[in-house]
Amino acid sequence: MRKRMLAMGLCAAMVMGSIAGCSSSKETGETKKEESASAGTEADKDLEGSLVFAIWDNNLMDYIDEHDMVGKFQEKYPNADIEVEKIKDDSEYWNSMKMRTSANQLPDVMFNKPFTLSRFKDYLIDLSDLEAAKNNELASGYAMDGKVLGIPMTAGYEYVYYWKDMFKEAGVEVPTTWEELETAAQTLQDHFSQKDPDFMAIALGAKDEWPDYPFMEFMPALQGGNGQNWNDMAKTDAPFAEGTDINKAYNKVNSLFSRNVFGKDPLGMGNDQVTSLFAQKKAAVIALGDWGLQNIKSGTDDISQLGTFYLPVRDKKDDPYRVIVQGDSFMGVTTHSKNPELAKAFVEWFYSEDWYPGYINYVTSASSMKNFTKEKDPILAQADDLQPDKVLVMYDGGGDQFQSIQNEIAFDYKKLGASMFTEGFDLKAQLDELNRKWAEARTKLGIK
Amino acid sequence: MKSLEKQKLRFIVCALIIPMVLLIGFVVVPAFDLIRMSFTNWDGFSKNFDLIGFDNYRAMFKNKDLWLSLRNNAVYFFGHLIFIPIELMFAVLLTSRLRGARFYKTMVFMPYIINGVAISYAFSYFFSPINGAFNEILTMVHLEGLIRNWLSDPKIVNIVLTFVSLWRFSGYHVILFMAALQSLPQDVQEAARVDGANAWQMFRNIQIPAIMLMVDFVLFDNIRGALQVFDIPYVMTSGGPGYASSTFTLYTIDTAFKYSNFGLAATMAVAIMTMIVVIYLIQNKIIHGLILKGGEK
Repeated sequence: MRKRMLAMGLCAAMVMGSIAGCSSSKETGETKKEESASAGTEADKDLEGSLVFAIWDNNLMDYIDEHDMVGKFQEKYPNADIEVEKIKDDSEYWNSMKMRTSANQLPDVMFNKPFTLSRFKDYLIDLSDLEAAKNNELASGYAMDGKVLGIPMTAGYEYVYYWKDMFKEAGVEVPTTWEELETAAQTLQDHFSQKDPDFMAIALGAKDEWPDYPFMEFMPALQGGNGQNWNDMAKTDAPFAEGTDINKAYNKVNSLFSRNVFGKDPLGMGNDQVTSLFAQKKAAVIALGDWGLQNIKSGTDDISQLGTFYLPVRDKKDDPYRVIVQGDSFMGVTTHSKNPELAKAFVEWFYSEDWYPGYINYVTSASSMKNFTKEKDPILAQADDLQPDKVLVMYDGGGDQFQSIQNEIAFDYKKLGASMFTEGFDLKAQLDELNRKWAEARTKLGIK
Repeated sequence: MKSLEKQKLRFIVCALIIPMVLLIGFVVVPAFDLIRMSFTNWDGFSKNFDLIGFDNYRAMFKNKDLWLSLRNNAVYFFGHLIFIPIELMFAVLLTSRLRGARFYKTMVFMPYIINGVAISYAFSYFFSPINGAFNEILTMVHLEGLIRNWLSDPKIVNIVLTFVSLWRFSGYHVILFMAALQSLPQDVQEAARVDGANAWQMFRNIQIPAIMLMVDFVLFDNIRGALQVFDIPYVMTSGGPGYASSTFTLYTIDTAFKYSNFGLAATMAVAIMTMIVVIYLIQNKIIHGLILKGGEK
């Protein structure tokens, strides 16, 4: 019996150790840091040392490989070396960066999204003196306390992709109000599902949850034209109450998601699956960022009938047609860098003529640099042709206060969106519950 | 003689010290660090944190979604528990003189050595509502009426995921049982056969009691595995719809990384550890006390 207890104790200790594995990275992290960032001395004209550049973007990785980024950088800085570290996707990227933050082991150069900038702000150095920051259209708009902590690599726009021939066959016009969007989706579904019971008027991929972001993340900002919506929500006790932007927006989303226009099982498929089905015209509409065009193109040979429009959130045709724009992939230099000057030189080089124009023309995203403008892809430009009077809303992912509350109450708007497809979902009850938790969290966190 | 004893002592000390140091460094210290962290509000990356007493423990007990996730773990636990006798029978069958046993052994063990994420991806497509192989098979055998939303119906999603888990891990248990069965002394079994014992009597009275240590281990592994299941629901459903297929570990990881609450996540990790020990003790009591009376090692 004693032996059994001993064996059980050891097993429990092993389990405990494996659970604690992540948290104990502080001890093991130091050695890795020494290995990955060999010390480099600094000279005014000839910088040397090595850098770790961590990315998640597949397109950027392909371009870096195909165009020998390291070699090109070394032509200018022969004593510098760069290790490009590719992480699977952006979710995994943030997990990895958080762990590395606690281990003092952030890469020299990292990327951020608008919603992660405030999380990592203490670990990013000010880049406002760089020419790249001065030439960037969006960088100053995302500055914190006057410091430019990241330079957006692209300007991100959101589109609704659609097949023009399918719209024509079903007798549907491009919608310009939310009501028209719902009606158009229903007409498409009714028309095509007679021939194909698997048809989806709108392809979503809600199994992955994140693909509902054009609706759940951006629509509250688009509803009232307030890019600072998340930050303003943090200032009130009942931000989900009736009449608020988020309440109106989520009621619209719920109304659309409750219609049978997302195919027979919207929660049964992920984004990869539905994007390829859209490319094969098994769906008529898909809402994705500008990056999505490349994924659609890779699934089909014929894009002659592919068109785009902006998500029509407005209620009436007289209302402004609002379109979200955000800086994407904010390149920043971390405080953990042993060669910050070299890292800054790399950022400057990245946004210079030697590298940036080639890259920005390789991807479908829009340029964020004033000195390297780019013609929009003809397919994406169609959305501008349809809405020449669009009003841009610059999206902010939410600052410290919003994120503190969000973490405290585990507010996951993408999960909430996916839940709208479940039986018995009650939006009012959910929003009331969120209001209650929100107020409690504000009190607990002392947010005024 | 003295020198031999000295060498012996030196060997014993070295052989004990190295594993002890490793155990303390990589298991005991992190475990204590985990418990310490469970009393803080550390967000995972800030330099500072506060000690907040039992707040995390209170918050954990009040969290409905977390306990819903734990209920999902129970589906994996009972699914695997029911399967253990079947695994045991497979092991006995494969240990006997069966034609092509080696081939079957390979087939049974194969799923365990394939990457878990790859398996989960493959099954995502297998159960896909459009062009999914499973639905195609059902259609082929004219059982269309049985087609369901396999990955999005909260009523069945956990059963589907448990099936994938069984597919993957059963082979591992079968191999463990086989290893234990093969180590049984042949003379006892021969003697039983001479005395006229049939297959069931051999299984019940000789093989099972003799491999009880392995059965114990598999039962413990089942609790640990069921409570820590992560990759299958993470890849196949992201824990959805809502939290319908979330598990305790999935929720813990979300708490740590998505909601930057490492303190609360550490509390959940301490809870999972406690639950593993408590459930093991209860299960042991039931299995040994009621089901296997007299089967004590």
